[in-house]
Amino acid sequence: MIDRFNVPTRMAIAWFGGIALTLAISTVSVRGDDAVDFKRGVQPVLEAHCIKCHMPGNAKGELSLATRADVLKGGEDGAAIQPGDADASHLIKMITPGADGKAKMPKKGDTLPADAIAKLRAWITSGAAWPDGVVVRERAKADRTWWSLQPLSDAEPPTTPGAPEAWTRNPIDKFIYAKLAEQHLTPNAPADRRTLIRRVTYDLIGLPPTPEEVEAFVADKSPDAYAKLVDRLLASPHYGERWGRHWLDVARFGESNGFERNVIIDNLWPYRDYVIRSFNDDKPFDRFVREQLAGDVIDGDNVDVAVGTAFLVCGPYDNVGNQDPVQKAQIRANTIDEIVRTTAEAFLGLTVGCARCHNHKFDPIMQADYYALCATFAGVYHGSRDVATPDELKQRAEALAPLNARLKELDAAKAALDKSIAQNAKQREAEATARWTRPPVDRYGTEERFDAVDARYVRLVAESRDDQPNARAGFGIDEFEVWTAGEATRNVALASNGAKAEGASRVAPDFADAYAAKNAIDGRFGARWISTEPTLTITLADTQRVDRVVFSSDRIHDLPKTHVKTRFVGDYHIDVSLDGKTWTTVADSSDRKPPSAAHAKQRLRDATITPDEQKRLAKIAAEKRDVQAQIAKVPSPPSWWVGQFRAAPGPFNIFVGGSPQRPGDAVHAASPSTLMDVAKPYTLDDKAPESQRRMALAEWIVADDNPLTPRVLANRLWHWHFGTGIQSTPSDFGYMGGRPTHPELLDWLARQLHASGWQLKPLHRLIVTSQTYRQSSAFRDDAAQVDSDARLLWRFPPRRLSGEEIRDSELAIAGKLDTRMGGPGFRLYEYQQDNVATYVPLDRFGPETYRRAVYHQNARAQRVDVMTDFDCPDPAFAAPRRSATTTPLQALTMLNHNFTMDMAGALAERLQREAGKDAASQVRRAFLLAFAREPSADEADAAQRLITQHGLRALCRALLNSNELIYIN
Amino acid sequence: MPRSNYSRTVASLDTLLSRRSLLSSVPTAMTGMGLVHLLSRELAAATAPSARPSRNHAAHQLGAHYEPKAKRVLQVFCPGAASHIDLWEHKPELEKRHGQPLPGEENFVSFQGKNGALMQSPWKFKPAGRCGKMFTTRLPFMAQHVDDIAFVHSMQSKSNTHGPGCIFMNTGHDIEGFPAAGAWLSYALGSSNDNLPTFVAIPDIRGEPPNGKANWSNGFLPARHQAIVMAAHQPVRNLQRPADVSKGEEADTRSFLDALNERHAEAHPGNSDLHARMAAYELAARMQLSAPEVMDISGESEATKSMYGIDDPNKLKAAYARNCLLARRLLERGVRYVNLYCASRASGVDGLLNWDAHKTLKADYDRHCPIFDQPTAALIADLRQRGMLDDTLVLWTTEFGRMPTHQAGTAGRDHNPDGFTCWMLGAGVKGGTSYGATDAFGRRAEVNPTTVWDFYATALHLLGLEHTRVTRYYNGLDRRLTDVHGNLIEEILA
Repeated sequence: MIDRFNVPTRMAIAWFGGIALTLAISTVSVRGDDAVDFKRGVQPVLEAHCIKCHMPGNAKGELSLATRADVLKGGEDGAAIQPGDADASHLIKMITPGADGKAKMPKKGDTLPADAIAKLRAWITSGAAWPDGVVVRERAKADRTWWSLQPLSDAEPPTTPGAPEAWTRNPIDKFIYAKLAEQHLTPNAPADRRTLIRRVTYDLIGLPPTPEEVEAFVADKSPDAYAKLVDRLLASPHYGERWGRHWLDVARFGESNGFERNVIIDNLWPYRDYVIRSFNDDKPFDRFVREQLAGDVIDGDNVDVAVGTAFLVCGPYDNVGNQDPVQKAQIRANTIDEIVRTTAEAFLGLTVGCARCHNHKFDPIMQADYYALCATFAGVYHGSRDVATPDELKQRAEALAPLNARLKELDAAKAALDKSIAQNAKQREAEATARWTRPPVDRYGTEERFDAVDARYVRLVAESRDDQPNARAGFGIDEFEVWTAGEATRNVALASNGAKAEGASRVAPDFADAYAAKNAIDGRFGARWISTEPTLTITLADTQRVDRVVFSSDRIHDLPKTHVKTRFVGDYHIDVSLDGKTWTTVADSSDRKPPSAAHAKQRLRDATITPDEQKRLAKIAAEKRDVQAQIAKVPSPPSWWVGQFRAAPGPFNIFVGGSPQRPGDAVHAASPSTLMDVAKPYTLDDKAPESQRRMALAEWIVADDNPLTPRVLANRLWHWHFGTGIQSTPSDFGYMGGRPTHPELLDWLARQLHASGWQLKPLHRLIVTSQTYRQSSAFRDDAAQVDSDARLLWRFPPRRLSGEEIRDSELAIAGKLDTRMGGPGFRLYEYQQDNVATYVPLDRFGPETYRRAVYHQNARAQRVDVMTDFDCPDPAFAAPRRSATTTPLQALTMLNHNFTMDMAGALAERLQREAGKDAASQVRRAFLLAFAREPSADEADAAQRLITQHGLRALCRALLNSNELIYIN
Repeated sequence: MPRSNYSRTVASLDTLLSRRSLLSSVPTAMTGMGLVHLLSRELAAATAPSARPSRNHAAHQLGAHYEPKAKRVLQVFCPGAASHIDLWEHKPELEKRHGQPLPGEENFVSFQGKNGALMQSPWKFKPAGRCGKMFTTRLPFMAQHVDDIAFVHSMQSKSNTHGPGCIFMNTGHDIEGFPAAGAWLSYALGSSNDNLPTFVAIPDIRGEPPNGKANWSNGFLPARHQAIVMAAHQPVRNLQRPADVSKGEEADTRSFLDALNERHAEAHPGNSDLHARMAAYELAARMQLSAPEVMDISGESEATKSMYGIDDPNKLKAAYARNCLLARRLLERGVRYVNLYCASRASGVDGLLNWDAHKTLKADYDRHCPIFDQPTAALIADLRQRGMLDDTLVLWTTEFGRMPTHQAGTAGRDHNPDGFTCWMLGAGVKGGTSYGATDAFGRRAEVNPTTVWDFYATALHLLGLEHTRVTRYYNGLDRRLTDVHGNLIEEILA
């Protein structure tokens, strides 16, 4: 650490608030016992100014001021205090202001007030008494008495005198009405049926109601018309697609690994289907939690359960690979951190990530709690696992046994034949070797001279690669030169001399020439042609008399000759041609020494093998291919991205300041102390298997006495129904989060979850059949004066559709929505991979993309027009809340992307199909499809004029862009 | 069948239609200025409240905290970790001790593995400018600007990996999901033009930088703060009206749409989003005119074009030069933040597509430096001659530095997060300064170690913003570009 300040060791007088205070010890005057009373005088000073940076989990300068022992032990600069001698105490030196009025410490924050310094001095002078057992800790803003950490209250719905009868039936309405009445507010009248069916249909299934559904509901006079509608929607498989998508936001579900490589993951979709299925089946949420944290433990043989643990590993993680051991440890810590944060926020609404480097500054979450959760997940690794029942595995093994046996026989036959060929070759070795007189190929430069010949075309044909006799491509050429015969010899292969190079090369899709053949004739040695086929063909500007070629993969001697990046040709021949059709070989490598023993063997073998042997080998190879094809046909167990679980025994430690290089106190897999007063805590032995650690956490999360889980879940449901939760930050129930507007209602709903056996559909039904939900969204100025964002729900809060809903709606209205469920997703981008992945948004979408947006393969850091423009989150983090922003990009996409034009065209065709040729009928049908209402007379007139002027598609395009389509009232 | 409540709306649709077509017949920013201005403000005002996520936190205030020196930012980013000791910070000790082991770290293992002996820069350094700073001879054009530059030679990064390193440099965090500096600026100051985006990212023709789009993401800020991607080789997506839609059809369709929307908004008071969305359609329409205009460089003088090198036979250099010129044109027209890239991602061949010279430092930088040098220097000179440096802040950044040693068995350098150089220039910056330093070899920041957070605290300061006050609540914390860190580097302020 560089000392930026030159601090004088002594400072006589400082002015503080007009009082001249001499700081030399002889003249200190502090009143009474405060100075020496540790708890009242000293501890508050340490807590307020020092402990933040000097505590066991975050010991800056290796110094902790938490206990007397810590203080006496000191840090990098020795003991912090010398009891009895304040002047000699390092602590006092550091906090005493210098000539410029600034002290060295606190490094961050203001210099201590004079009276605080005086208290510390007096305390040291008097012997620095420290009461037994007192540990100085940084105080969080909230402690364990925080509202969200209390047991669920048993508040019953209140009765409000004078409440309208309709608002006294559903308990939810009683809670809501009472709060409104307190503020002298009244709720809105019920919404009309068209508005209501549109609202509830989007809410529960994420799609627009069809005109027929609207008309049927409007016409249904039975008292239970709405209840029937709700039942129909909750029973629809589209319900799971809509509500499963909500959960995928919380699970930060992303189908690529993120970070630099961002490689796509093609076997994670089963988790998406699992989530959708779980919602559709109304799987009890406690089971859903257990399966996602420990499905492999509960029922590892059941693929439908084991897939749940994909929750743990569907987040981003760094897989670049790092040889630096310090960075490697940090990356692993980051990976676990991601899992810990997501889990605690998703189920508990606890931002435990803030306790990684120090105790949480706002909530009662200790650093030890964070590392206890790290210990819990210490055995979790990203990756795929075979998910199959033992029965399936057995069947597979049985089917494979005879095929593998046959394969073995074939391999043995081949080995025997190879051996006899090798023996024959051995006999010829001396004779052949004698012909290998020239040096082997050289990556730094290989030359072939030959008799001068006229050539328009020159080609290099590789027979092997220098590191691998059986490979004929994948080598690099940094330069290939063709020299003219005679005196003033020149390299006519240069592009600058008019030559062209052709050869299949590795492709970087977004930078076409990165590895192209032209790199071999550019006169520079930095970039190479990287071959995917054996031949490099040079076309000269005109016919030339040539007698020499020089080529290399590393002319500048940059890398060792064995380096994988400069792989070169092994055996080869050089041909010339005048017409590009008839070729003459002018040089080859047959008299060079082979690049390796393996190449030598191969050469000898090629020279010795008889036609009969070749035939027999071919026959064996053919049969082998056949058997392998049969093996490929045996169904293999699905390999899904559900994580890998490895033994990871303790001991576990806190990482001081968050650094894996600074292990601190021991921790064990345990429940967070945050809820220790209300939910029965547990601590596991370090030897407990890692599966048990995850299981224990899952059980604790869903235990009856854990109030956070049902509270957080009930609030999420409310948030997704009304746009804002009863508490406004659904994944943060701590001090920095929102305060509940209706705490009693929240607890009442949480208890309903317990009562319903953690099933969600009963709660949905209760919520959407309430008057609160069914009221109109009409705006009233007077109410808005009191409660502008309608958190008290004097109206139903209008909302914009999500990106998925907008895309799904366009497809549905155009009659193009493909409602097939499940399976691998579709892509609205082109996936390119050249070491790292690039996602290029598509300009044209085919019908294979006409499925619901939830089935889009949700890679990270891609942006795909309509979805990204309308706030579909990038799953870098969980997204407990969606934004609904407005940008000009939305307008550009919605007006101009081919998708809109395709849908406008499809809708126009649909209107003609369903409403015939009459423009008035077409307009009427269009409004019903898009807005669930008929047009007004003047709207109809204007729309028909547009059709007359520019055709039906123009009208469709306008409707698909309209505000009314994407806002719900 | 019951009529909808639309029949009782105030204005008749025909009245609306005629009002609208008047507007769409004068669609340029010039002629429609009054209304256009109104609508932009409307967009800003209408969308501001959504920035308030939690009742515990004060509403986000738009605007500078104090009188700014800089009004806009150009950030040039050279991805791949451009070597500080070969480009910016002269280390005579490397020349003296070339081939000798690095004292104290003879066997250290870094990102790609083992390291060899100390390696001098393949290029000589010589004094440049009036300040006489020792400067590489590999960047002769940039050498002309050293008197204006404030170098920060003591930067340190949290990551030694390109992806996390790049987003750390751009967002102050080494994991994805946080807003880029340009997004924060858009969030803090709003737009300063009526027809172009606020934040533009210009990727290189060779592709996206490591970690791709996360480098210009809005993170958890509203989507309107994301960068719009455009480049000379890559127009804004979906900008042009579809080929088979005529001008007349477009105008009439939009008039009808606007009337429909206006009617809908009148029937739904109290939802300011509806007006914001209409304003966004207006802004989109203006972008359709102004974005092609900004891309059209035919009006630039021949002198300007050749100064940048836009017709250079080196196609990569020409492409970057065009992007430099585009950057100036965007800044000139009120874009607040331009994030310009020179080079792209990690390829299968180290150092081919970006500054990641693991194996062949000389060959790699002989390729990259000429692409970067003249166009960047021309851009700075052009900004200066137009007086724009008075209120434009130029940042040059990369994700980390490179080792003073060569990688075992190669003639290149491995990643070095412990010391590297970034620099700034322009509004409020003290030119000809070199702040901080690495040790004698360039291995570690030694004098005044500086973080990305310090760098941005200083940049925000120049923009009139106190970095601790530009915050937004997200998952448990009031988040900042400078995380929980950041100290002003006063020594480089004019």
